[in-house]
Amino acid sequence: CSNDKDIDITTYATQTDPADVLFNEGLANLKAGNLSEAGRKFEAVDQQHPYSDYAKRAIVLDAWVNYRQGNYTDAVAGGKRYLNLYPTDDDAAYAQYIIGLAYYKQIPDVTRDQTPARQTEQAMQALVDNYPKSEYVADARQKIRFARNQLAGKDMQVGRYYQERNQYLAAINRYKSVVQTYPKTDQIEEALARLVECYYALGLTNEAQEAAAVLGHNYPQSEWYKDSYALLEKNGLKPNDRGQTWLSRAGRMLGAS
Amino acid sequence: AVVTIGTVEMAQAATVSRIVVKGNGRISASTVRGNITIKPGKSFTNDDINESVKQLFQTGLFSDVQMQVSGNSLVVTVQENQIVNAVVFNGNKKIKDEQLEQAVQTKALSPYNKPQLEADKRTIQQAYESIGRKDATVETQVVPLDNGRVNIAFNINEGDRTDIKSINFVGNHAFTDGRLADVLQTKRTNFLSWLTRKDVYNPTKLDADQQRLRQFYYNHGFADFRIVSSVADFDPNANAYTITITVDEGARYKFGNVQIDSSVAGVNSSELRGLLQTRKGDTYNAKDVEDTVEAISDRIASQGYPFAEVTPRGNRDFQNHTIGVSYLVDQGQRAYVERIEIAGNTRTRDYVIRRAFDISEGDAFNKVAVREAKRRLEALGYFSSVDIDTRQGSEPDRVILVVNVQDKPTGEFSIGGGYSTDQGATVNASITERNFLGRGQFIRVSAGGGSDSRNYQVSFTEPYFLGYRLAAGFDASHIDNSYFDNYDYSQDSFTLRASAPITDDIRAGLAYTFERTDYDITDSDDLSQTYKRDLSVDDRITSSVTASLTYDTIDDHNLPREGFYAKASAQFAGVGGDADFLKITGKAAYYHPIIESADVIGSLSAGAGQLIKTNGSVNTFDQFFLGGETIRGFDTRGIGPRAYCDDDTSGCDHSYDDPLGGATYLNASAEVSFPMPVIPQDVGIRGAVFADAGTLYGLDNNPASDDRIVGDDFNIRASVGASIIWASPFGPLRFDYAVPVAKEDYDDVQNFRFGASTNF
Amino acid sequence: CASRTYTSGYVVDQDALKLVPVGSSREQVLLTLGSPSTKATFGNEVFYYITQKRSQPFAFMKSHVVSQSVLAVYFDSDGTVTRIANYTLKDGHVFDMISRTSPTGGSEQTFLGQLLSGGSTKPTLPGAQQQTPGAI
Repeated sequence: CSNDKDIDITTYATQTDPADVLFNEGLANLKAGNLSEAGRKFEAVDQQHPYSDYAKRAIVLDAWVNYRQGNYTDAVAGGKRYLNLYPTDDDAAYAQYIIGLAYYKQIPDVTRDQTPARQTEQAMQALVDNYPKSEYVADARQKIRFARNQLAGKDMQVGRYYQERNQYLAAINRYKSVVQTYPKTDQIEEALARLVECYYALGLTNEAQEAAAVLGHNYPQSEWYKDSYALLEKNGLKPNDRGQTWLSRAGRMLGAS
Repeated sequence: AVVTIGTVEMAQAATVSRIVVKGNGRISASTVRGNITIKPGKSFTNDDINESVKQLFQTGLFSDVQMQVSGNSLVVTVQENQIVNAVVFNGNKKIKDEQLEQAVQTKALSPYNKPQLEADKRTIQQAYESIGRKDATVETQVVPLDNGRVNIAFNINEGDRTDIKSINFVGNHAFTDGRLADVLQTKRTNFLSWLTRKDVYNPTKLDADQQRLRQFYYNHGFADFRIVSSVADFDPNANAYTITITVDEGARYKFGNVQIDSSVAGVNSSELRGLLQTRKGDTYNAKDVEDTVEAISDRIASQGYPFAEVTPRGNRDFQNHTIGVSYLVDQGQRAYVERIEIAGNTRTRDYVIRRAFDISEGDAFNKVAVREAKRRLEALGYFSSVDIDTRQGSEPDRVILVVNVQDKPTGEFSIGGGYSTDQGATVNASITERNFLGRGQFIRVSAGGGSDSRNYQVSFTEPYFLGYRLAAGFDASHIDNSYFDNYDYSQDSFTLRASAPITDDIRAGLAYTFERTDYDITDSDDLSQTYKRDLSVDDRITSSVTASLTYDTIDDHNLPREGFYAKASAQFAGVGGDADFLKITGKAAYYHPIIESADVIGSLSAGAGQLIKTNGSVNTFDQFFLGGETIRGFDTRGIGPRAYCDDDTSGCDHSYDDPLGGATYLNASAEVSFPMPVIPQDVGIRGAVFADAGTLYGLDNNPASDDRIVGDDFNIRASVGASIIWASPFGPLRFDYAVPVAKEDYDDVQNFRFGASTNF
Repeated sequence: CASRTYTSGYVVDQDALKLVPVGSSREQVLLTLGSPSTKATFGNEVFYYITQKRSQPFAFMKSHVVSQSVLAVYFDSDGTVTRIANYTLKDGHVFDMISRTSPTGGSEQTFLGQLLSGGSTKPTLPGAQQQTPGAI
């Protein structure tokens, strides 16, 4: 087995090239698209001229190169290091954005641990809060929506798992947590429709009607509303529209949270 | 670097128009300005100054920070720490650079600080100690470079392996040193230790060993067992440890009277007596108490009292060494599981983990059900660690179960070799994935071959078919075999199978098999007429359904010490295809320690099989064959009816010797296995002596009239022998030597059998 | 024989039920019956205590619902019990749930990816605290 050869540290890595030369070579490589070479140049700047102005810009560009090459942990580490040293600098928003993107790329499908989705939401939210005027805020909001939809999708998946085994109590609580915590995601329609199904299966008909009414009020054209309506109507029930006040309050309540 | 807090003299609140940074070399002024809360034009107070100084120190870049306000500018004077340029490890072979880099705090680009370096030296020292190299030494070398940078090297001298010379026990009468050494995971150094690495002394591992020793004694009646001392003294010039464990066994207890008292209305204890595994007069066994607690908790939970808790209380009678056990059933705290949150599953799907739980969200919280789920998850073999902890829910009586798993690689590509007297030398390669796509499915593709056989297999299993706890799957295989002298055959088979647990110990199985066998005769002149007739069929289809029932309470399948195994199955061929028969087979084995202290294990096993004609006579090769794999001392297919003629003695035109199999077989075997006396126990070699017996008779294949048939009657063959069994690190090896004591003169004898299969 | 019946969800305590007649306060209900299995999602506050008796004939079979009871405690706006209703299995309905699911994202896992990523975990230092199997 190969063991690492011993190094005489008196001569090791002492030669230094000028920071600007290294940095510009890195930029050139980045533009030409050979990422690993660009990465090496930026790391050399950081290595040989630590904490200089060139090093500052090299760290964030190196993080971007790592992100593009798919080594997300290094990209996040690079981004965090930049934010730790230069929290108020003009590239700080860019570093925060890279961290968010690196987490975003690691989001697995809903049947697996959604920690990367939570991390994406937090990192992108930090970007929106700390750097409101940055050009990345628009995409950050979009990534937050995607991450929240994943987190809601996770609860829905577990809810369906229990509903398939007619464990209605467990299913109802999971769907309710989607309605209460993630009303703005596109899982909300299904969550409401599933609540109609579960309440109806338990025999709680007016609860089923209430849920269908909220779904109808907020998403009248939704496929899910058509299904819920058909389910209730088949047994002579209609989404219970107990007076405009209550319904609008229910509708508004949904919109507010 | 000595840390001094900046000195500040200034009026209460002030503003400055400029911030001047002095004393910085490499570090840019913008870095300093970025890390202080004071901004030009913004008013600031003393706390802002302190806050900024603290923040600058936190970056670790500066050994000293001074702040003065002079005129309308704030002057920040800093003194930079030296920066580590590169960290290098020399002389390390056993532990790779990458691993050391991770563990050491001093990193490239981090500020150089001396106490940290010393701490790193100790970390490396401990790492070497934990892999059994206590005498490794670590020296540090610091070389300053230009503009405040330093290079650091850890020069390591790894020394050589620290052995464990011996593990001695003092005060043990009930069990031999060897038996106790077998309980510990830390082993004495022997010629295989460089491979097994079990002889590495590690204090935490020794503590876990002590716990295993206590558990071993508690499970064998020694309720008062105590470890007086456990000492590992290191002899520097021999570079070896000697471990001495002094124990006080105390008396061996039996169970006194055992009762169940329930304070929960509706739970009547007489009904539960059937679940007791601790009976008056048996040797005291802590595990039996635990199993009884679990059985009672399960039963009362299913009777609608999930909150009831069972606590065992022992009352000791010191005179005649008995322990009475009373199981107290009382109302526990009413708590419900609010959510089951699964974390860490980067590969295994959520439902594969969730379905291991009998309880679901909203159900009553029941410790036994959680423990069972943990056991099921660990048994899956997909995780390197499974922890289930509880967290307070949103209401006082609500609990959140947090299931933390750590996925481990479950795919393996293995190449194996083996040698057995039946098939000679064989080589096989297989790709196995036990958690296919994280869905809990098993998939294996393998190919192999020997001097006279080739085989290819594909098998797939879904453990929860359609949501039922029903393991369904298929196997497809192709075999080319030319082992037998006068003919070869190739066989393609496809099996659809399903098996399900009926109870914890009983499992039922159902399978449909479609098999196409193609024989071709290679040398027809020494074949009997029956063989010629039944071998000249090409593309023979056997389409059969097999039902089976298995009862299994064996404690550990690679070295069974206790338990019973029984399997009965019926194979009905005739669902189309050419073969028509019903084969009913059964086998049973019972293991029990004979001399527990010396780890001598006795085992009895028996088997039987009956072929029933369902549509006239059957093909010869549908009949049962019996030989060395069941009755040691005989060749494969060495026993039973045979078409046999020796042309110079019994007047037939050419000689032939073809085993025809039989319709009925019976076999029985008794074996006593024991650890090899002289060799240290942890090498894993055991000896055994055994006696096998059996018979095969009855012909349903309507043999050709002019063949001379022998052995078609019920006569017992028997043999006695001895074997050496080695659970080697490469895999199980077994050498059997048996001498037939009762046989027919035409049986084929083969005294020596050797079987080994390794995967490396 | 092998069949197993068990309670899933809220464990009903009959005599506790008598202590919370109509008109009792929200706190009294919480104290005697414990916190509800679930609360109404919309509209006025309602406590639901959901119990299912399930049985599983054989270890491999799916458990099916033998009996089901939903105890609904309705409150008015200032938190006193206005109505108590009990819905049983016969009030329930059996139907197939909609099979369609809302789309979600996230990277799917490929078999090759799984095989190759087998050894992806970073080497940890020998002697680092191995997980000795602790009881829960």
